[in-house]
Amino acid sequence: MSGPWGQPQPHSPQADPAHPPAGRRTSWRVVLVHTATFRQARSFVPALLGLGAVVGTRLDAGPWTVVALVVGVTLASLGFAALSWWRFSYTDGETAMVVTRGLLSRSVRTVPNDRVRGVEVEAPALHRVFGLVRVRVDAAAGAVSNDEEELVVDGLTPAEADRLRTHLLTRRAPDVPAEAFEPEPVEEEFARFDNRWLLYAPLVGSYLAVPLAAVGALFRLTDELPDRWRPELDRPDLADGTVVVLVVVAAALLLVVGAVVGSALVNWRFRLVRRGGSLVAVRGLVTRRHTELEVDRIRGAAVSEGLGMRCVRAARATALVTGLGDATRRGQLLPLGPREEAWALALRLVEDPGPLRAHPPAARRRRVVRAVAGGVVVTAGGVLLLALTGQCWLLAVGVVLAVLGVPLGLGRYAALGHAAGPRSFTVRSGWLVREQVVLQRRAVVGWQVRQSFFQRRQGLATVVAAVGAGSGGYQALDVAAADAAPFAAAASGRWAATLSDPG
Amino acid sequence: MTQLPPDRPAPPAPPTAAARLPAWSLSRDAIALWTVEGVLGSLFWVAVVTALEVFAPLPTWLRVLLPVLVAVDAVVMIGVRPRLRYRVHRWEVTDEAVYTLTGWLSRTWTLVPVSRIQTVDVTRGVVQQLFGLATVAVMTASSQGTVRVLHLEADVATRVADDLARRAERVRDEAT
Repeated sequence: MSGPWGQPQPHSPQADPAHPPAGRRTSWRVVLVHTATFRQARSFVPALLGLGAVVGTRLDAGPWTVVALVVGVTLASLGFAALSWWRFSYTDGETAMVVTRGLLSRSVRTVPNDRVRGVEVEAPALHRVFGLVRVRVDAAAGAVSNDEEELVVDGLTPAEADRLRTHLLTRRAPDVPAEAFEPEPVEEEFARFDNRWLLYAPLVGSYLAVPLAAVGALFRLTDELPDRWRPELDRPDLADGTVVVLVVVAAALLLVVGAVVGSALVNWRFRLVRRGGSLVAVRGLVTRRHTELEVDRIRGAAVSEGLGMRCVRAARATALVTGLGDATRRGQLLPLGPREEAWALALRLVEDPGPLRAHPPAARRRRVVRAVAGGVVVTAGGVLLLALTGQCWLLAVGVVLAVLGVPLGLGRYAALGHAAGPRSFTVRSGWLVREQVVLQRRAVVGWQVRQSFFQRRQGLATVVAAVGAGSGGYQALDVAAADAAPFAAAASGRWAATLSDPG
Repeated sequence: MTQLPPDRPAPPAPPTAAARLPAWSLSRDAIALWTVEGVLGSLFWVAVVTALEVFAPLPTWLRVLLPVLVAVDAVVMIGVRPRLRYRVHRWEVTDEAVYTLTGWLSRTWTLVPVSRIQTVDVTRGVVQQLFGLATVAVMTASSQGTVRVLHLEADVATRVADDLARRAERVRDEAT
């Protein structure tokens, strides 16, 4: 079986990213910009500083030394800028945009025109002086985070930038269907916050943190107050039990009230409506926040329940949306509410994939063993300590930890589950915060199957669905190894069968 | 025309494996490249340990232990690891997807459909250029959906990238 690229394929030279017709260059003036900003030389600064320190100790730091240093650094910067300008070229072909760069190691990046989401032209001050602009091509939104990986063409003339942008965007235009009709903006209410739900707030970790942070700030403030402004208080008699109890009760009350107030500030009169093609959420007491999500870009929903929330059957629901920054806050469907409400909302966006399937017994064994392992190590240390010094406190701690590990492991196992329905699939995990994610089949942009040494011995595997929304990947922890490939195939397209059948 | 992706039949997967083996192995030159990397790494450690032995006041047991550790490390990194990695890294491009397997103790299979490819990168590091090798990275909208195929012959890598980019353009899909 030879690859499809085995035979030379007939195609127009224009469309061949490997042999571009003519790599276009950026304007040479960008070398000056980069020299001034130390764009490339910046990464060598630590080395130069070290060198400078060595040189500095040897030489008297006269004015000439300084001048020489400045000239040298500038020349170095010029050199690097010129080199990287010389090694950089781009081609916007019929089907793809290709960017070639790299001083020593060469990198060729190909972006199919189809995948270009947007083109941004920016003109920083220094660029404007030289009559240049910078073009950012927005393509692989999720995969790139550091700017090393970003697709940036730096130093084009505005005219060339315009040409490039029009070329990239008009290539894309035909596959975006023209809006044939303007849909009536019908408003449909999805959710409305019931103020009684604010009482759930003290059981949610993030809301509990609000009063704690406030108390911390208060303490800092009193620390910085001058002494004479501090009220004279008699030192409370700590030995008196009632005082301690009072303080604890007061602190607990403060926490509870603070959490409720904090959650009220953020979630006051939360309302989620569907207006045409988008979901609009409005909330907040002091500042009204207004967030809009395109329904078309929703790929799934997550329902998460913390340990405390589970006791009162509360949950929160979040939409998983592609290309949404700050997704956890902006994607919120229901910040806090009864579990039934959260699920009803989530299932309005994604089809119900059916009941969860439990994971094999080996998964339970693995969860328990992992939860107990830490305690066992401490116990072993305790035995050693007992033998050497006769102290037994570490042994006791170890035994308690190990015993507590059993319910923890069982709890974590109970949280595991996965299921694939006709149009969607779901995975659930987590004990401290149990999260169940329901995703549409089309959400999957790739699969990762992981199997550690121990998992292989126990016949388990972890299946991760790579998704261009939310946290980027959602895993089904410890499914039976034999189930991994069938689950992937059932939860996404035909292509996932590659995992099991030779292509 | 140059060597095609090696057409070595994949050994049958053990029953506990979660997915099948991808069909092709990397370029054989990858072994040489990893060996060179291992030699460079070992030289670095030899230099460090030599410097320590000469300049630092070490207890005697450490004086004996450090060279032994370095020797063991060198044997593993030069003699064992390159061959092991060559056997473990496998890849395949099918009509619909890119498929790789990496890792020895902990194994990871990654599968990305052509219809969801967003960018294709070909990178040639300095050492790779000595051996005429290149790495292909296929990226999607998800940070966890990246497939990297290390150390292919440079022209195979270019053709793979070219072919994938062209097919990705042809398969019109939302890609996210």
